[in-house]
Amino acid sequence: MDINLKHIIIRRTKLSFIYVLLSIVALTCVFPLLWMLGSSLKTQSTVFSDPSLIPASPEWNNYYLAWTKGEFGVYFLNSVFYTTAVVFGIIIISSLAAYGFSRLKFPGSNILFHMFLAAMMIPLPGSFVPLYVLVNNIRKVLLEFLTAISPFLIKIFPAHFVQQSIAFIQHQAFPRTAYVFCMINVGLSLSIYILKTFFDKMPGALEDAARIDGCNKLGIWRHVALPLARPALAVITIFNALNVWNEYILAQLILSSKETMPLQRGLIVFQGMHVTDYPLLMAGMTMTAIPIIIIYLIFQKHIIKGITAGAVVG
Amino acid sequence: MQNVKSKMHNFNVKFKNFIFLFLILNFTFLIFNLTGCGGGAGQGDRIQPAVTINAWHWMTDRDDAFAELAARYEKKTGVKVKFELYAPSDSYTQKVRAAAQAGTLPDIFGLLGEKRDFASFVIAGHVANLDSEMLRDNAAWKNKFFSRAIAVNEFLPDNEFKVEPGVYGVPLDVMNIQMLYNKKLLKDAGIKRPPKTWDEFLAMGEKFKESGVQGLVSGWGEMWMIDCFASNYAFNIMGEEKVMKTIKGEIPYTDPEWIAVFNLFKEMADNNILYNGIVTMVNKTAEQLFANERAAFAFNGSWCVNVYAGMNPDLDYGVMFPPAKGDFLMKAWGGAGSSFLVNGRSLFKQETIDFLRWLSDDEQQAYLAEVTKNLPANKDCITKLTPVLASFAKAMEDTTHPNIWPVHEFPLVIEAFDKGIQAIIIGEKSPAEIAVEVQKVKEKELNKRRQY
Repeated sequence: MDINLKHIIIRRTKLSFIYVLLSIVALTCVFPLLWMLGSSLKTQSTVFSDPSLIPASPEWNNYYLAWTKGEFGVYFLNSVFYTTAVVFGIIIISSLAAYGFSRLKFPGSNILFHMFLAAMMIPLPGSFVPLYVLVNNIRKVLLEFLTAISPFLIKIFPAHFVQQSIAFIQHQAFPRTAYVFCMINVGLSLSIYILKTFFDKMPGALEDAARIDGCNKLGIWRHVALPLARPALAVITIFNALNVWNEYILAQLILSSKETMPLQRGLIVFQGMHVTDYPLLMAGMTMTAIPIIIIYLIFQKHIIKGITAGAVVG
Repeated sequence: MQNVKSKMHNFNVKFKNFIFLFLILNFTFLIFNLTGCGGGAGQGDRIQPAVTINAWHWMTDRDDAFAELAARYEKKTGVKVKFELYAPSDSYTQKVRAAAQAGTLPDIFGLLGEKRDFASFVIAGHVANLDSEMLRDNAAWKNKFFSRAIAVNEFLPDNEFKVEPGVYGVPLDVMNIQMLYNKKLLKDAGIKRPPKTWDEFLAMGEKFKESGVQGLVSGWGEMWMIDCFASNYAFNIMGEEKVMKTIKGEIPYTDPEWIAVFNLFKEMADNNILYNGIVTMVNKTAEQLFANERAAFAFNGSWCVNVYAGMNPDLDYGVMFPPAKGDFLMKAWGGAGSSFLVNGRSLFKQETIDFLRWLSDDEQQAYLAEVTKNLPANKDCITKLTPVLASFAKAMEDTTHPNIWPVHEFPLVIEAFDKGIQAIIIGEKSPAEIAVEVQKVKEKELNKRRQY
């Protein structure tokens, strides 16, 4: 009885210690969010003088002002487009590549895979200028091509429509596509690495069964490998969605007009050279963070599974 | 196996739904943009006016004002000016550098960085020489600006960068660094007027102690602000010529007048003039403290007018030159503000210059000053400024800046100088000890230069 009591006391003490520790860690994670929320409801003068987390008279109008002054409507739509397009692209390309590296034996596959891994070590700012020059050169070639074919197009379509379409490609479609491709490129290495580790541990028997059922290699990838890699895909989705949603430096480099910019562009409006409008900035950041928090909550049950992937597959 | 098959089936259904949703979303987005519902996206591209001038800038707080001025200019002349904001300044700089390499710089852009970067852009042909325009009609355009504002955009004959002499930028605004005093706190401490001499300033320490008011606050954790304060008094105590001779290596930092400059910081620390923790303070914190009436004095730049207006609109303060100690003219740091450059390869060079000439005119400069609370580069609109901004503007001709000095101090000497002053303030070392240390670094650097 005494031994049991002692055991219970030790266990509860240990648990209490762990809970206290975890609570402190959780608090340090949650506090910045609460501070952000609290500051978003203060005024520019009370944000420096009112130490309370939630102000007595909250300024809900800050959210409206942030949305309108920051022109979040267009940027929000842009960010949703970039995030879905990039994540979709990364999932398709990285899963095909990872499956290839894992299951197809071809000369130089290891070297190629390690080259992809090495790409992870290149910091993004290091590739800014070459990327910009490359994108710009492609744009020039595309424009020359469009200019060359426009006389023929004018014979088929109204001149105004052709002119509009070329302007649309030049100022909207091309920069957006270029940015999406660049961001896919940024996210590929890590995604391939995660998925390859996953596919390496997939039992060969599953592939054999699919082959007997008449699947070719692409069919096995589509009907067997991809469904089994769901936890890893969830991790890739959340990592890359976060990355694209919060990315701004590359967007600023490649996109040349504010109509094509992502959500982060709205936030810089509130950060002046010498003055920062903290309440509106915090309101903007709160609105920016909500979608990504929702994505995280949707995928969170898969994330731990995905990170520790490979214990048992199939 | 059955379980696996069922999972696979579920996944296939979800995968198809995902692809379907993805396609729908992108299609909607495409239609949204094609029909021009995207907040005017691309509308400007469809009906192109005869001339469209593109401008890139990093000045977040001026973006709306630029857009408004561009709209006014288009209404007046029919020339469209499209301002694009790229911020923060680091990523703006990257964008400009990348565009320079790709040959896609806009018609108007600004450069952030040292004069050597500016020179390299000029030498590469990215920046147009505006001398002929500036000097036309008896230099009417050039004479509109404060001389310091022009100086940062000008390369003089025989300059060290071997750039063709001329003015290469149109200054938009200027700045200078002075002292500010809180009228209410001075009154609370029983002080009737701001100090005129150094001794009056030091004597206030006792009154601050009695009334519990803290004295001078500044971002002296950012060492350049210490350098700035010390430079003011070096000019005041020994004169410009002697300061330049010291930089040339002809006069040592152990000279009694340099020790007197170092001693000012000891005197401030000893007389309870400095805010606690000033040596590690960043300027943002210093601004918050002064705006929240926690310090009677601040040493800050003219940009603070905008900062304080945001932090505490009711703050009642005045602007003053630092109280004199010596007999020579005190020169505050100033001049270096924002400037616009014209792309040397612009297709619309003349139209771009015409726009910048219009932008720097009295009316537009007064509008920019009113909206952004920055000091305008155009000296003719000084009468249209608020009293505080006008006080800053009046001192513009008594300013200087290391960038326009004929000689430049070694970075390591500047570091030893600034860190030494920090050590004096915290009582770690005496002014004489610091003078010896700085001189040692100076001699080491001079020897290196002689060797190479």
